Amino acid sequence: MSRLVHRLIVSVGLLVAVSIAGFAILPAMPGDAAEVILMERMDGEIPTREALAAFRADAGFDDIWPVQYLRWLAGVLQGDLGTSFRTDDPVLSDLALALPRTLMLGTAAALVSVMLALPLGIAAALRPGTWIDRLAMALAVVGMATPNFWLALLGMLLFSLTLGWLPVSGHGTWLHLVLPALVVGTALTGVLARMVRSALLEVLGADFIRTARAKGLHPARVVLAHAFPNAAAPVLTVLGLHLGKMFDSIVVVEAVFGWPGLGRLLVDAILARDGPVIQGCLLVIGTATVVIHLLTDIAVNRVDPRAKGAV
Amino acid sequence: MDRRAHSSIPLASPAVRSARPAGLGPWLALGLPVLLMVLAPHLAPHPPDGFSLADRLQAPSLSHPLGTDAMGRCVLSRLLYGFAVTPAAAAAVVASAALIGGGLGLLLGMAGGWVDRVGMRIVDGGLIFPGIALALALSAILGLGMTALVVSLSAVHWAEYARVVRTLVVSELGRPYVLAATALGVRRHVIALRHILPNITHAVIVLIPFSLSWAILSFAGLSYLGLGPEPGSPEWGLMIAEGRAHMREYPRLMLAPGLTIVCLVIALNLLGDHLRARLAPGSDRLRL
Repeated sequence: MSRLVHRLIVSVGLLVAVSIAGFAILPAMPGDAAEVILMERMDGEIPTREALAAFRADAGFDDIWPVQYLRWLAGVLQGDLGTSFRTDDPVLSDLALALPRTLMLGTAAALVSVMLALPLGIAAALRPGTWIDRLAMALAVVGMATPNFWLALLGMLLFSLTLGWLPVSGHGTWLHLVLPALVVGTALTGVLARMVRSALLEVLGADFIRTARAKGLHPARVVLAHAFPNAAAPVLTVLGLHLGKMFDSIVVVEAVFGWPGLGRLLVDAILARDGPVIQGCLLVIGTATVVIHLLTDIAVNRVDPRAKGAV
Repeated sequence: MDRRAHSSIPLASPAVRSARPAGLGPWLALGLPVLLMVLAPHLAPHPPDGFSLADRLQAPSLSHPLGTDAMGRCVLSRLLYGFAVTPAAAAAVVASAALIGGGLGLLLGMAGGWVDRVGMRIVDGGLIFPGIALALALSAILGLGMTALVVSLSAVHWAEYARVVRTLVVSELGRPYVLAATALGVRRHVIALRHILPNITHAVIVLIPFSLSWAILSFAGLSYLGLGPEPGSPEWGLMIAEGRAHMREYPRLMLAPGLTIVCLVIALNLLGDHLRARLAPGSDRLRL
């Protein structure tokens, strides 16, 4: 139990770090945020020096950083993330639109990779050295070496432009989800399958597996009910690490397919120097990472109580 | 594009490795790109930016072995000159990350105590965040362009080296040769640099090919999105982005740079496996 408390404290510390980094990005960006905001309010007119100074003092831009940070944090905790420089929309509503789409893509991609990797990894572990093992290996090698944005274009070229089965880009129907999910998911499949294979191989050599076989259990039952649960912890750890890291791949793939999620919002905001939106995206991504990390740790402990400090 | 995935999954089982002595093969992964990087101006049939709209979108021919792009530039020449952009940028990322992160890891490991604990918390915090998203955020501060992108990628990559070097240093600290040196009154910084560093270098070298792979994929990806070099640079990710507009009629414009990246990264990963088998047989277990 104290371990869980310890993890929670670390997570809270990480969240504070995320919020500081999220806050700091706007003042650190080139250009004066106060001037941009004031210009918006004056309908694009360039403010005079006096007006800017008055606005800075009024809106608290001249306060010391810790005060500005706490004021900003108080706003964030009440759901006020500022407004976009580009569209004037509240950042919170942009994020509320984008986040579910990214979660949908992430879930679909995770399902794709797990559904492909589990059978492949189990088969490879049961028949090491055969073609299925080689296939899993080749997938891992190629999956690790293929740039995801290029794979996305290849998929688009084959399934959308040549065969005409799927829409090229955008979102709306579930057909739009297929290609992005396949691209993000298959990149993980090879790695995950290798992980399932090596974790399972390790367990299959254990005494309790020999015992299970010796007492005449069905081979499928030995693998699925005896071996697999014991191999699950390392696999789950890797999966958890990748769920957080999968966002790296999602950012790029969303931008390629025009999938209007968090990644595309972030890339567009960066190209347009839209500070408040960048802040909002970072906060959401950082918070999600911390939460996923914590949940993975708890899940690993549930599945395998021996795995102390595995993550 | 996962940094850990590259380093934690061995591509060949130990049995396969020992059965086939690798010889020169893996070293070509490093040698060939460096050679092409240096020789590109001599090997390339045309300058990388010599565009002539009259020659645009030509099919492969003797004078343009891979055809020309939408600006009439020779695709092969651009690929060759690209060796001095994408892999060179990746090398810069890895070198700075390894030096800064490694140096910090050495300091933390030697310092021990609360400095080590606090430092490692920061390193661990840095490690769990999605690197590309962090690099993107940094490029909001640093601006766009090649140098900015190299700096942002190094800034998310150093933690990897800090963690590995610190772990190695701590495990070396308990070894008899370090205890002996300490007992003889050798000063701490001499122990760190002259005794421990030479003994852990090989384990750090093993990381470098995987690290280069990650940096090449990330650099090309972010530059595809428009965060890297200016349009017109023979950067491979940028070439893919430019080829996208003509993807249906002229897929080769986007296939050629992509395949170049895939081949180079596969070669680097195989070199990494080879090095790991040779230099650090037990390091599969190291959490990287």
